[in-house]
Amino acid sequence: MPFFMDTDKLVTLEEAAARVRDGDVVALGGGLSARLPMALVRELIRQGRRDLHLVGSAHGIDVDLLVAAAAVAICEESYVGFEQDLGLAPAYRRAAEGGEIRLAESCCVTMLTQLRAAEAGVPFLPVRGVKGSDIRRLHPEYAEITCPFTGEVLVAVPALSPDVALIHASLGDRRGNLHFDKPYVLDERFASASQLVVATVERVASTDEVADAGITVPAHLVTAVAEAPFGAHPTSCYPEYAYDRNHLRQYVAAAATAEGASEYLAHYVTGAPTELAYRKLVGEEILERLRGWNQSTQAWKELFA
Amino acid sequence: MTFTIDEWFVVTLARTIKDREAVFHGFGSPCAQVAMHVARHTHARDMLLVEGATYAVNPEPEFIPPTGNDLALQHRAVYQMRFEEFFDAAIRGDIDRMFLSGGQIDAWGNTNVTAVGPIERPKVKLGGGGGGCNLAATIKNLTLWTTRHGSGRTLVEECDFVTDMGHRTKDGTRTQLGFTGGGPEWLVTELGVFDFPEGRARLRQTYPDVTLDQIKDATGFAFEVAGDLKHVPLPSPAELAALRSVDPLGVRRQEFSSTELRRVYEHGSGASCAC
Repeated sequence: MPFFMDTDKLVTLEEAAARVRDGDVVALGGGLSARLPMALVRELIRQGRRDLHLVGSAHGIDVDLLVAAAAVAICEESYVGFEQDLGLAPAYRRAAEGGEIRLAESCCVTMLTQLRAAEAGVPFLPVRGVKGSDIRRLHPEYAEITCPFTGEVLVAVPALSPDVALIHASLGDRRGNLHFDKPYVLDERFASASQLVVATVERVASTDEVADAGITVPAHLVTAVAEAPFGAHPTSCYPEYAYDRNHLRQYVAAAATAEGASEYLAHYVTGAPTELAYRKLVGEEILERLRGWNQSTQAWKELFA
Repeated sequence: MTFTIDEWFVVTLARTIKDREAVFHGFGSPCAQVAMHVARHTHARDMLLVEGATYAVNPEPEFIPPTGNDLALQHRAVYQMRFEEFFDAAIRGDIDRMFLSGGQIDAWGNTNVTAVGPIERPKVKLGGGGGGCNLAATIKNLTLWTTRHGSGRTLVEECDFVTDMGHRTKDGTRTQLGFTGGGPEWLVTELGVFDFPEGRARLRQTYPDVTLDQIKDATGFAFEVAGDLKHVPLPSPAELAALRSVDPLGVRRQEFSSTELRRVYEHGSGASCAC
């Protein structure tokens, strides 16, 4: 939300993740199997962050991994799971059913409206829906308002300004200009509504190169930027790479038990002290295959078969 | 030409779409997703198809991937809406139809995708509703679907949690709440098809290998049966060809149990052909 004037914001991944504090409201960029800020998620777990209040639209392994690592107090997303393909989110489900996290399930439209209020500097905005839904019971902070012009009664939702937004982009420069492809999901809104914006990029490039590709989030909104190749793995970051369905399947199978989730974390996250070590564990051959999605329709299909 | 229940089911979903409608599916909804492409390649060539997580408009995917948020779903789309652009259109009432499913669905078309059991300590925490609790208020028509009717646990007397409102909840009716959309129009299941006259589910069609008693046993609420109860119209060869072409990976089958997938049909063996 504030503008960040530094001309060099390039930091290490460790320094980037250190901008997130215990107890922060953390907005997660990307959605479902695409462009989730996984390098930052892994680093937050390595640094032992606690009591996070996560906000986002439709999420998957990012939320599930943070919950598995006991880093989360409140979940405020519109969806957490692995779609029809791989099913419910195992660690999230276990924590919800065990009463270990507070469920503040939200809705894409409500969250969008709350972010827009923060962006516009007004304390609330109305939504037409939500009435009739039990989602409202999960949010004592929502209220009702009568429109002064039409007399309609609408649900008023408060402005939402996350403490920090985590965004993964294809390209960025040292100033913090970011380029990534659609769907942007809520990333642009998170970038302008949040107090801090911490970004990872596949590759740091010159300002000219980022500007030529098209600036999705401008430098003045970004607090820190770190280079993290395959920083969205096992989710996709097109055009660089497709999502790693086999890895997600392995994760969902492993995390079916608390022990399995801990073993996954011990192997791939805390057992890999850096992202370079993580990429080695995943395997260069597998990463190359994910990069090869555009060689042919057949190659792309085979990644998903 | 033989075909299986997943194919007949998806074609039945596709037929709830009218030509020139603007239509959207939520993510994690392979059957609805494939159905939209089938409709656009058969009877609804001028529909506006908006993909559920990429917001691509009228794409021509070479295959439907197992995730709803993939570049494959933008193939040959000349335009891709922004997140805000789609949701603004939907909440101001410019989207004609949305597909919605639920772990639980009641007689009024309320759906639960949040939690089975008490929300404070759920028995099963489901994924969540995406944009549903606002979209269900304003999108003009909803097509509900489930492939788990036969489980006996899906069509229930009362949802443990209402994520997306149907025609009425304990808070009131759609009119009382100021909702501008029409609510659920159809509920398509792997056993039959319901409509919602007066806002409550009524059985209209059944698949020929399913008896009325089976449907009653699997349904947790009492329902009216239409006087002219019919078999679900058969899928046409053109619809089946469109479906097989758009979904070579068979992602639609993810929604069915392996037992259900053994239901195979043949043209000429059952009800009158709609082709």
